[in-house]
Amino acid sequence: MADLLLDSNIRIWVFLPIVVITFLVGIIRHYVTILLSSDKKSDLQQVADSHALMRSRILRENGKYIPKDSFLVRKSFFNHEEKGFFNVEKREAQVKNPMTDPSMMTDMMKGNVTNVLPMIVIGGWINWAFSGFLTTKVPFPLTLRFKPMLQRGVELQSLDASWVSSASWYFLNVFGLRSMYTLILGQDNAADQTRMMQEQMSGSAMMAPPDPMKAFKAEWEALEITNHDWLLDGVEEELTGGIIQPETIYIKNKFT
Amino acid sequence: MATHITFDEARTILKKMRDEQVRDGDMVVKLWEGFLIHHSHKLADELWMVYEQVCIAALDCRRLDLAEECIEALQYKFPDSMRVKRLEGLFYEADGRYNEADKLYTEIIEKDNTNMIARKRQVAILKAQGKMAEAIQKLNEYLKKFMTDYESWMELCDLYLCEFDYSNAAFCMEEVIMSNPHNHLFHQKYAEIRYTMGGAENMELARSYFAQAVKLNPNNTRALNGVLLAATNLATAYSKGAKEKQINARYASWAEEQLTVKYKTQATDEQRKETKVLESLRKLLELSQNVGGS
Repeated sequence: MADLLLDSNIRIWVFLPIVVITFLVGIIRHYVTILLSSDKKSDLQQVADSHALMRSRILRENGKYIPKDSFLVRKSFFNHEEKGFFNVEKREAQVKNPMTDPSMMTDMMKGNVTNVLPMIVIGGWINWAFSGFLTTKVPFPLTLRFKPMLQRGVELQSLDASWVSSASWYFLNVFGLRSMYTLILGQDNAADQTRMMQEQMSGSAMMAPPDPMKAFKAEWEALEITNHDWLLDGVEEELTGGIIQPETIYIKNKFT
Repeated sequence: MATHITFDEARTILKKMRDEQVRDGDMVVKLWEGFLIHHSHKLADELWMVYEQVCIAALDCRRLDLAEECIEALQYKFPDSMRVKRLEGLFYEADGRYNEADKLYTEIIEKDNTNMIARKRQVAILKAQGKMAEAIQKLNEYLKKFMTDYESWMELCDLYLCEFDYSNAAFCMEEVIMSNPHNHLFHQKYAEIRYTMGGAENMELARSYFAQAVKLNPNNTRALNGVLLAATNLATAYSKGAKEKQINARYASWAEEQLTVKYKTQATDEQRKETKVLESLRKLLELSQNVGGS
């Protein structure tokens, strides 16, 4: 089969413009994201709640390292019937409805505006302006399966699969230029770091549970069924190499 | 320090210190003034992080002039940044202008009331002024909100110890132990607090926790001494019944043995003289044993 020759005008007016356009759009999008990004403010109450939940979890896991009295004091701090933290604290469920919460809406909008919209607009425009060209050829043979991926817009049965159409070239660029961005925009997060400095770290970017009451209830239950089994029982015997009493090896009173 | 490090090396060292949170102010200031200050433009975006690092280092070394330079540069770049404000507050603190620093921190908290650092600095100001009771109160308020900040629990423990409030200090130490139960120093400190509190129960707890510390790190001589002292105390003073006495005596003699071996293998002649205390303790133990037996 005779080899296909491409017009050198295709290189100048299709191949290179697509690269340049995708690249520039990527850079613009990067800066627009920085401009539009809003710092997430966390609510003090939410932070405090997540800390309390965390502390309770740690108490459940590591409570065996502290004496029994101390464990019970803490357990009743969280679980006391009348005064316990999980029983007293009442929180309103803050399940955010994205339709009613304007801040969520804007966040979603921003995500769309910076990510999806350019893809569609630029992709559509490229498709319209540069459709139907073969732009380049990958320097290795490919199987037929690659044809829909590499030859979008050029539906030719007999064409070798290693030819790349203009629309496909655009997509290859969109996904393949990431390392170029990191090179040009400096490690990808260099810009992010400066942004972090602006926002300053609020030290406690822990995820707050969406519904504190539910989380409290679950934690209350988990803590309620936690028993104290002092791990240090018999540690001296173990250390001095004496005879370890069997009751200190096995779990005592497993079901109390 | 070698005088012929290149710019890149100095930069790498600073970065490493930043990442590992090494607090060696002198070194940082030297590196900055010696190698980086004239090429600061080459640092690009890293520059601001370096400024922050140098600023804190300068404050550590009481180089207020240098710190001021850094803060000015940062303020020019980030006029509204909380993080720069915090540095400013640190600067006031280093200068002894506590009221201004406190005002600044209050401002930060008003703007962002989840800011942990500013709250902790306020406690630090109170501590620096020697107002322990107020510092304790403030830290308690803080810990009601941020319950899992274990550094603060540790600090509160120390504050309580300054006030000789051992039971509260023990409570704080329990929190710290739970945060990282594999750190032998926490166990050791807890045991020391319990030991100081005195009484049979506390002494037993002290013995157990000293033992735990030794178990976690067999080279912890201080904890080994703790085991010896606590067990001796229990054997001589607090034990009920001969059996308990015997057990405690066994623990004590075990610890004593371990200590003697340690001193024999590792200590100099000078230090070995100090093992006499051990011997006298052993004699005491034997004596009590005999009394108990007879």
